[in-house]
Amino acid sequence: MKRLSVLMSLIILLAFNAFGQRYLTKTGHIYFYSKTPFETIEAHNRQVNCALDVKSGMFVFKVLMRSFIFEKALMQEHFNEDYVESDKFPNATFIGKIDNVKEIAFNKAGTYNAKVSGTLTIHGVSRTVHENGTFIVSDKGIAAQSKFLIKLSEYNIDIPEIVAREIANEFNIFVDVDLKSLKK
Amino acid sequence: MGSFGNAQQLKKTMMKILKKILGIFMIISVLGIAYVWFFVYNKPHRNFDKAKPDVILSAQSFYNNYAKKIKSCNGKVVQINGIPKKIETNDSLAVVVFVFDQGMFGDEGVRCTMLPKYRNSAENLDLSKTVTIKGFCAGYNGTDVILEQCSIIK
Repeated sequence: MKRLSVLMSLIILLAFNAFGQRYLTKTGHIYFYSKTPFETIEAHNRQVNCALDVKSGMFVFKVLMRSFIFEKALMQEHFNEDYVESDKFPNATFIGKIDNVKEIAFNKAGTYNAKVSGTLTIHGVSRTVHENGTFIVSDKGIAAQSKFLIKLSEYNIDIPEIVAREIANEFNIFVDVDLKSLKK
Repeated sequence: MGSFGNAQQLKKTMMKILKKILGIFMIISVLGIAYVWFFVYNKPHRNFDKAKPDVILSAQSFYNNYAKKIKSCNGKVVQINGIPKKIETNDSLAVVVFVFDQGMFGDEGVRCTMLPKYRNSAENLDLSKTVTIKGFCAGYNGTDVILEQCSIIK
């Protein structure tokens, strides 16, 4: 799986170089949310890297795990030290493509529904995912939004039995990025 | 009759002692729960504005150390100085950006997310002068080293 991920990265990088119609942000916003009767967990990361090649429909997200800010300091500590092990696995990545890229006119203002697929890597575990998203094209750039669900157990994130009632296994992930054309 | 009276007296005394012990136990329990609630479960985030830096160095060497994987400062309070290239702002944050390299995705360097109280001073920074900034190091994301909850020292 790791080899596949490296191969995907190389393909993406080559595609980005070849076509050069890149849109980029380094201040993307990703947040996650989960709720049980005992605990609500929410954390925001506003320093998300995202790049999109509009010609090929390939895109990449890179998320620094320590940049997730929680309301409670203790939750943030446990998240980094015990659950996602941020020192060992500092970044989460998504490398993928828009499956229906031909249906999206990136040069024409409008809102477009997209089907995306790719490899999501969290906590060192890579999984193929298929999700839906929305692209909003305007004269200011391209906004991309998505909401999807992940199961912690699928990424080898163990919840100790003592707090299993308080922490849900499923987390809602919200993605909201404003991409600007990269001018060199 | 006399021994019955003594037994009653003893029972009363025992009850008094038991009540006192129970009272003390309850007070300790309440104080313990309050301590855990306020200082463990809901303990405040570290005040990075007042935190003493673990590492002090120039923005350039900080970036070089990270990009070349020489040194990691993840989770530490880092104080850097240098001349910023730009200040990026949006509705929710201000980021002071030091640029030292160019990559496939544009500028690469050190990105400092400012604490809300330093937003205005960050926006008014003179981009021709050296600035000293302190924040906690979130790590390197492959293009930039990220400092969070930053404050301007001078």
